[in-house]
Amino acid sequence: MIKSSFGKILGIAAAGVIAAGGMLASPAATAGDAAAGSDVFKSECSECHSVQQGRNKKGPSLFGIVGRAAGTLPDYNYSDALRHAPWTWTADKLHGYLSQPAKQANPGTKMKYSGLDNAKQLEDLIAYLDTLH
Amino acid sequence: MPTASIQRARDRQATRGAARWFPWLGLVAAMLLFASHGAQATPAYARQTGSACADCHAGAYGPALTPYGIRFKLNGYTDTGGKGGSLPAAIQLIGTRAVPAGSNSKDTTQLTEADLYLAGRISDNAGGYVKVETDNDGHDHFHTKLSNVDLRYVAKDLTLAGHDAMFGVSVNNSPGFEDPISVLPSASNFGPPANSGTLLNPSSPNPLATHVIGAVAYGLFDGSWLGELGTYNSLPRSTQSDVGYTPSSDPGKLSDTGYLRLAYMKDLKRQFFSAGLVALTTKRQLPRNAPKDDITDLGYDLSYQFLGNREHIVQMSYVNILEQRDYGSVLAGPVPGLTSKQHVAAHDQTLSATYTFRQTYGITVAHLRSTGTSDPLRYPPFGDPAVTSNLYTLFWAPFGKEGSLTPFANLKIAATWFRFTRFNGTSSNVFGAPPGFPVTNARDLDEFSISASLAF
Repeated sequence: MIKSSFGKILGIAAAGVIAAGGMLASPAATAGDAAAGSDVFKSECSECHSVQQGRNKKGPSLFGIVGRAAGTLPDYNYSDALRHAPWTWTADKLHGYLSQPAKQANPGTKMKYSGLDNAKQLEDLIAYLDTLH
Repeated sequence: MPTASIQRARDRQATRGAARWFPWLGLVAAMLLFASHGAQATPAYARQTGSACADCHAGAYGPALTPYGIRFKLNGYTDTGGKGGSLPAAIQLIGTRAVPAGSNSKDTTQLTEADLYLAGRISDNAGGYVKVETDNDGHDHFHTKLSNVDLRYVAKDLTLAGHDAMFGVSVNNSPGFEDPISVLPSASNFGPPANSGTLLNPSSPNPLATHVIGAVAYGLFDGSWLGELGTYNSLPRSTQSDVGYTPSSDPGKLSDTGYLRLAYMKDLKRQFFSAGLVALTTKRQLPRNAPKDDITDLGYDLSYQFLGNREHIVQMSYVNILEQRDYGSVLAGPVPGLTSKQHVAAHDQTLSATYTFRQTYGITVAHLRSTGTSDPLRYPPFGDPAVTSNLYTLFWAPFGKEGSLTPFANLKIAATWFRFTRFNGTSSNVFGAPPGFPVTNARDLDEFSISASLAF
């Protein structure tokens, strides 16, 4: 248990470093149109995710998602696959995750999503998610 | 409600002696059921999932489902927000100001319906929907009955030949209510008012809806291909009485009943479309000691939804069901040798469209048509059972969405004009009143109503 917690802390710390690097290395990821991304969110994500802080639906709240360590909202029941995921949701990570089927990006996840293959919409969506603070 | 208008008109005819020209009037207690448009959703589901009403229903109050709502129904009402512990119950109250068109009909303002829903998940694989409905008979006498029931067991997240698959069983009391796309009449509540409707139309005389019990096994392949196969049997008359139905609404004794539904649906996120087939075949004895009638319904349905960013939503559907009947016996006419027809058809069609703005304001327009083989003995006074009607509804549902006062409850204010253009095959003197008797035209059955529905 202690080992597991320690590993998790290490993972989060490592993810934070990677996240910082990722955010610096991918200015294009936030170059999308956040207003257009709001529309993308409504059609692609809003049924399962709320943008309100503390409001979980079938999926966890996406308030503050950019910069959050994966699987760490305290009041949401994550799958083991995401609870033990060693990454932080950076713009780059979201880009890679959302551009493919969720079960491929994170085998074992509860999330059912086929992926967003429209590059412009994906950029806009991530720009919108980055505003949720 | 138009049902009340029609019943009043018929009562008037009957009390003035016209019943002797229409002997069947006294035998058919519930000739028409208004295509009511109450909710089939419950805030209990919203509390269970954390979702807003508007996630499953474009207008935030149902009954038409969004693709997300369709998946929730297919998943056996088991999806959850993960917290657990929500109360699987909800209440709906409906008050109505009804303004019937007939000159002898009185305007009424009353609590028309109070419903209790027991709805929600039992486990990861089992869930259900049960509606107990209490209706006002128009004189502030309330009558409680068991309305729709749909209990499901599902096996989800399976893989078949490399594709997503799921299988389930629905135990329900209305053929078509289990339809996940919710366009079939029992699920949409859009059954055309009918003198000779199909078995799949809950507005038909002696309907199967809520008077039978059956099981339907279903499977969904690759998220798009739906197959359902099931069977039904009518509830014993004593059980029907126990759950609030009168003997005159008995659908009769059923045997060799089979139900089939096939559909293809495609969720494109911003749009959705579906195409489906439905079939029901049975041997029916009505009354229960009568010879068996062979009855087969065969129908198809199409639906389309434009969802976009949910600012402007358009939902359209068309359902066409043809019923072939081979009566086990014929009615004898007043003239020797004149009998009713043995091989006949009934045909129900519904075309509906709803536009919803910001998941709050909406308009629904529907054209409902029920026709059948002409038969002077079965369908007096003109031998034509055709009924054509239109529904126009403006509604406002301010809550039930993210950012509203509450996403888990809702209010719906609706103004509805239900209009009849043809009844008994004609637009004028629809009950064939002889000279000297009051005449009822089809438009006299129209009704304007304003209703307030509250679900919490």
